[in-house]
Amino acid sequence: MSAKRHTRLLLTAAILLGAIYLFPLYWMYATALKSGSEIFAYPPTFIPRGLDFGIFAEVWATRDMGRFLWNSLVIATGSMALVALLGTGCAYVLARYRNVWIDITLFLVLMLQVLPASLMITPIFVGFSALGLLDFPRFAVMLAFTAKAMPFFVILVRATFMSIPAELEEAALVDGNSRIGAFALIALPLARNGILVSAILIFMQAFGEFVYSKSMIQDVTLQPASVGLNGFMGPNTVEWNKIMAYATIYVTPILAAFVLLQQRIVSGLTSGALK
Amino acid sequence: MLSRRLRNGYPKMKRLLSSVTDGKGFDILLVGLPLLFLLAFSGLPLLYNVLMSFQEVDIFSLGRLIRPFVGLDNYRELFAAPEFWPIMWNTVLFVVCSIAGQFTLGLALALFFDTGFRGSSFLRGLFLVSWVMPGLVVGAIWNWILSGDFGVLNYLLTSTGLISENIFWRSDVDYSLWAVVLANIWLGTSFNMILLSVGLAGIPKDLYEASELDGANVLQRFFTITLPMMRSTIGAVVSLGLIFTLQQFDLFAAITSGGPANSSNVAQYWAWELSFRQYDFAKGATVSTLMIITVMIAAVLYVRSTRHEVRI
Repeated sequence: MSAKRHTRLLLTAAILLGAIYLFPLYWMYATALKSGSEIFAYPPTFIPRGLDFGIFAEVWATRDMGRFLWNSLVIATGSMALVALLGTGCAYVLARYRNVWIDITLFLVLMLQVLPASLMITPIFVGFSALGLLDFPRFAVMLAFTAKAMPFFVILVRATFMSIPAELEEAALVDGNSRIGAFALIALPLARNGILVSAILIFMQAFGEFVYSKSMIQDVTLQPASVGLNGFMGPNTVEWNKIMAYATIYVTPILAAFVLLQQRIVSGLTSGALK
Repeated sequence: MLSRRLRNGYPKMKRLLSSVTDGKGFDILLVGLPLLFLLAFSGLPLLYNVLMSFQEVDIFSLGRLIRPFVGLDNYRELFAAPEFWPIMWNTVLFVVCSIAGQFTLGLALALFFDTGFRGSSFLRGLFLVSWVMPGLVVGAIWNWILSGDFGVLNYLLTSTGLISENIFWRSDVDYSLWAVVLANIWLGTSFNMILLSVGLAGIPKDLYEASELDGANVLQRFFTITLPMMRSTIGAVVSLGLIFTLQQFDLFAAITSGGPANSSNVAQYWAWELSFRQYDFAKGATVSTLMIITVMIAAVLYVRSTRHEVRI
């Protein structure tokens, strides 16, 4: 009986902690649903008085959100595909061998992971402009972001491949399969979940990418939603309900995907990041 | 047709082809392509950055590869700039306080959730939303929460009596850096907690039982078992925190833009500002070079602490 009460107490405390921690998120939704005058009420209303869902349609139309989100989607999809295409094989080989060359490669990959985007953008911008790549700005962002995100993907997927016993592939080789066959028919299907979760994480990161897009995409019709949000927040803005409505439209799909895949993302992250 | 010709007529090609499908060539191809990509789009820019920091770069010579060399002039001018040391000090404050906050809160939460009641792993996972949200959205939300006259944080602080008048977080030179630190602590706490949870879960439970029998209390157990057993995890988490904090850019762009009067400016934002606001790419590259060296040192520490993890 007392153990049960103990558990219930812990659960209540946990929910309370979660509620405090996630308050900023709640505040975004609450502010988005308030009217232009209610957001400046003092004391602030913690539950919006009237729910005005029309604001989403209005912000969507006036801020050209369809176009911004489409660009985000293009950049995120392209980056994710490029990262997965290049990174999966690399992770596989790095997981299957243990020698000096592998160690050196792994070290290189780890070192390239840590370079901050806001520092790398200066040489990338100047180099890309010399090469003429800035004429295809979204593609340029994809290339730069892929280089930034691939190491993280390789580390996570490598952990997945390491958890798959190599004996299965060896058996396939004995049965007359080629290396490519063993990789494509045995290892890849078994690592499918880990690859998928890591790819989704890369997609989420690319969907929110800001530095590269802000610096390399001058044409407003090609800019992603993060740059659009930045442009919406002028220094003296008062339209906070609309900005929060923009943020809500932008972030809700990501949050939904995260809540659905939460357990897998967490376990993928924890197995990869520390090993 | 082609493959039969290869098989019969060109023994060299045949060997190469079979090596790619079935031998060493397969491994080399799988690692080689992504490595070439990384070297082209991360490695080369890195070297190019160092090169630019010794050159004179202006908007007209942007498209050229060869530019006049100026030796250490960029570095000299940078060190002499009046904002250089304040910004470096801000960077140190930002990094140290962010990591301290994230780590302490993350560890406290990890210890709490480690008690392992029903639903704990689901609730713990929910905290990670702060980490998957676009940085700019997090910045926008905190910008609004920290608003001077209408911000909800000021309301909570005044109504509980913690402050007597509103703090203008974003426009007061004494508080602007702390506005970003606050948002960054919120952003990073969940990631710290998740990684620390993994470390906690790895401590054998019988160690605690044994010391409980010996009469050690909760605090003693924490300092004699938990902390020592978590040493390598803590090393990894702190160095990862250092790496992530030095990458933080979006929050500055969304909350203070480094202002007012550089009071919340840090090196990684300053480097971008120099290049893309003042079009002084040489100075931008110089700051970047200095910071990249710092980050590299952090990375070596990280790799070393994860090495320990693997060996255990």
